[in-house]
Amino acid sequence: MKKILLMLVLSLVLILSLAACGGTDVVGETSADSFGKLLEAMPEQIEADENGQGWVLNAPDGSASFFWGKNYSGEGSYDVFIETDIQPFLEAGLKGEMLPPGIVSEDKIIVGIDLGDDKLWKDKETDPLDSYRQILESNRDAIQYHGELDHYGINIGSGNVFEWAKDMGTNDKDMVFVLDPEIFIEAGVDPGKVDGWVFGKVKVDGEDGKPVEVEKFLKPFDIL
Amino acid sequence: MIKKVTLSITGMTCAACAARIEKVVGKMEGVDRISVNLATEKASVEYDPVITDLAAISDKIEKAGYGAKTFEKNNLVDEDKLKKEKESRTLWRKFTISTIFAIPLLYIAMGPMIWWLPFPIPVSLEPMQYPLNYALVQILLTIPIVIAGYQFYTVGFKAILNRSPNMDSLIAMGTTAALLYSGYSVYQISKGDFMAVDSLYFETAGVIITLILLGKSLEALSKGRTSEAIKKLMGLAPKTAILIRDGIEVEVAIDEVEIGNIILVKPGQKIPVDGVVVEGSTSIDESMLTGESIPIAKTAGDSVYAASINKNGLIQFKATKVGGETALAQIIKLVEEAQGSKAPIAKMADIVSGYFVPIVFVIALLASLAWFVSGESLVFSLTIFIAILVIACPCALGLATPTAIMVGTGKGAEYGILIKSGEALETSHKIDTVVLDKTGTITEGKPKVTDIITMEGINSSRLLQIAASGEKGSEHPLADAIVKAAEADQLEMLKTEGFEAIPGHGIRVEIDGMSVLLGNRKLMEDQGVELNSMEHHSDRLAGEGKTPMYIAMNRQMAGIIAVADVVKGSSLKAIEKMKAMGLEVAMITGDNRRTAEAIAKQVGIGLVLAEVLPQDKSSEVKRLQTEGKKVAMVGDGINDAPALAQADVGIAIGSGTDVAMESAEIVLMRSDLMDVPAAIQLSKSTIRNIKQNLFWAFAYNVIGIPIAAGLLHLFGGPLLNPIFAAAAMSLSSVSVLTNALRLKKFKPFQ
Repeated sequence: MKKILLMLVLSLVLILSLAACGGTDVVGETSADSFGKLLEAMPEQIEADENGQGWVLNAPDGSASFFWGKNYSGEGSYDVFIETDIQPFLEAGLKGEMLPPGIVSEDKIIVGIDLGDDKLWKDKETDPLDSYRQILESNRDAIQYHGELDHYGINIGSGNVFEWAKDMGTNDKDMVFVLDPEIFIEAGVDPGKVDGWVFGKVKVDGEDGKPVEVEKFLKPFDIL
Repeated sequence: MIKKVTLSITGMTCAACAARIEKVVGKMEGVDRISVNLATEKASVEYDPVITDLAAISDKIEKAGYGAKTFEKNNLVDEDKLKKEKESRTLWRKFTISTIFAIPLLYIAMGPMIWWLPFPIPVSLEPMQYPLNYALVQILLTIPIVIAGYQFYTVGFKAILNRSPNMDSLIAMGTTAALLYSGYSVYQISKGDFMAVDSLYFETAGVIITLILLGKSLEALSKGRTSEAIKKLMGLAPKTAILIRDGIEVEVAIDEVEIGNIILVKPGQKIPVDGVVVEGSTSIDESMLTGESIPIAKTAGDSVYAASINKNGLIQFKATKVGGETALAQIIKLVEEAQGSKAPIAKMADIVSGYFVPIVFVIALLASLAWFVSGESLVFSLTIFIAILVIACPCALGLATPTAIMVGTGKGAEYGILIKSGEALETSHKIDTVVLDKTGTITEGKPKVTDIITMEGINSSRLLQIAASGEKGSEHPLADAIVKAAEADQLEMLKTEGFEAIPGHGIRVEIDGMSVLLGNRKLMEDQGVELNSMEHHSDRLAGEGKTPMYIAMNRQMAGIIAVADVVKGSSLKAIEKMKAMGLEVAMITGDNRRTAEAIAKQVGIGLVLAEVLPQDKSSEVKRLQTEGKKVAMVGDGINDAPALAQADVGIAIGSGTDVAMESAEIVLMRSDLMDVPAAIQLSKSTIRNIKQNLFWAFAYNVIGIPIAAGLLHLFGGPLLNPIFAAAAMSLSSVSVLTNALRLKKFKPFQ
């Protein structure tokens, strides 16, 4: 019995050590590599935020953009967000006043989350990939792997995600803006009529870790 | 000169191991004969010591991958018991360890696939978020399980190297394939192929080992249970004896007693060894050997047996059989040999398993090579190879028989039906004829007062009181029945004087100043007593198979007390049930035909084999067998032992002698004859269950292997993912176990 307990304790210690050990986080590590490749593939689409709070990655057609912050203590909107034109949604029946407050900003729709109140962690100048690594370090759970599409993604709350391909060479959807359709449908949008967005079902990991099939608005781009 | 030795063998796991040892040793020059007993793990070897020796034989066995050492007969039971208990404890401990780790392993591995199951594991173990953590934790949980089941690998791979693959080889290969493939998948994950989390089969290997350990533990438990009765009997044997040396009493250990020693046994002590009384007289309780509860008178020249109890006298006897030669030791030997046999259906599974491994391996190799040559990738070919080995893992095959036998025998034990071997269990369902011994089996075996007929002027109680008072001093079984009947009626015993036994006729005694005669007709006629109307009653009672005893007071006929061995309450119902099951029922007895037919008529038996001498009972059973019948013999006495052994299945009634119990393959712990049809019914249910189990075990392989080999993929269908192969394999084990557990619902005839 002593041997059993010893083995049990030893295994538990190892399990807990592993769980706490970042060295085994292959998803996190490789997601940064892939994100770096995405940035390298479209340098002209990347720009510093006008307020100096982060970085913006624009879609090739300019219809949407992804922002990720570098200083979470700064003023402004979310630390990570997706911004897209409101016009296609209005044409599909959107009644802007029915959306939750803060989502509509002039002619844009903005969905995102705050990651905290921390100031810059690094004294040196950061670059877009460095800022992504900061997210990885401080909010690892926001990064996910989407097995069905072989994508990584940053969860920006309420079912909205910014995704990019793990391997752009083999994937035909190298970058995807994902919006949860629920609030838009409730606000009068006919989901099949939103120009520039694909309304479809995708398989994702649910909150309990089990795969579930959900409906999403998708705006995919094939970069390479 | 040929020498015979018994060796203890270790490391055997199935019939293939026993066959392998017999093969390699049998080929040795100088070895005349070898017989390996898998159940008792012993080998009996006859060899010429001039040509070879024990060391060479042991060496040969060890080179074949097994352990061998000389078996010490003196410590036969204790060592064997300790060894089996230790083995059972070790297996259960290993099973406990592997279960402790297998449950979380299975939960972590399978949890995400079960949609309705909550999944409260830390985020850091979620397969799509932290796949490497997910895999490494599974490795950590698998390691203790693999350590617990290490003997499957040591024995299994050694057997493969010796070109005699056994059940362990299949388990070792199957789980090793799963582990290697999982290891490769972990490497893939570490290289960024996160979908490889779906190709982890650590839980497959872990659960297989756990389930096999469970099967082995159940088997050990089952083996232990069948020999509990004999162990209990051995516990009765005394550890010391009092020898008379030069007129002095010397207490020595039982092992030191030699043939020819004079042994003193005081009242209340047990007889230490077999022998012949040389001085004194006593009565001895031999119930542990004969089942007869009435002590038997012993005087000079009479035989006494080890472990029987000296009731009242002081005797000295000369030892004639000691150690392994006593009747008791012989019984143990018989049981051990009986346990060596496996159910033929299990033998079939072992034989199939022997061919199964190489065939599956070749199929896996050929199929993967064929796919590789056809242009598929190495990973694809490897997937095929592993899927075939995983789906063909013989877990269910290994569990099919022992689990059903375990549940079946366990259920039998619950109802007082002890089935000693798998062979008996299997044969019982084929029985078409049941031969029942009369005395003690159909009847109670102990005479009882059945009728009291009185003349005018005296009532039944008074007659019974006088008869019982007179017989109180007698040791005759019929007298005992009268005394017990009076005691049951709480009649007061009267004072007697001048007791005189008239051998072969009865007794004469003075009670309350009256001269009382009690005995047979001859006694009455010799004493000039008029039988009057009692003669008619006497004839009628005799016709009913009863023994009438006349009682005369002052030479005047007072009445008759009839004593008979009465039919048990359940006998008629049991025999009707057996007939309803389509069984032919016969009665066998040494009694005269008139008595036998009277009893047979009461219980509805048509076929009566009467006036059969004890030594001829087995011949009668054999005669029925030559007529093509599958015969079950049901008996209770030592005289039934040869017939019990001759029958296809010997069934001993529990109230009977231990010799009968040891000769029989099935022992009914109660004296209820209803347990006979129940035992046959249980056998039928268990064998049907084993067949179903084997069907499922084979069906999974027969259907699964071609699919795993890519047959469906060849025609545009899906490729069997090894995880489904593992699930199917696990399902086959679960279905086999679940099916075996259905036997728990078994209910015998009431």
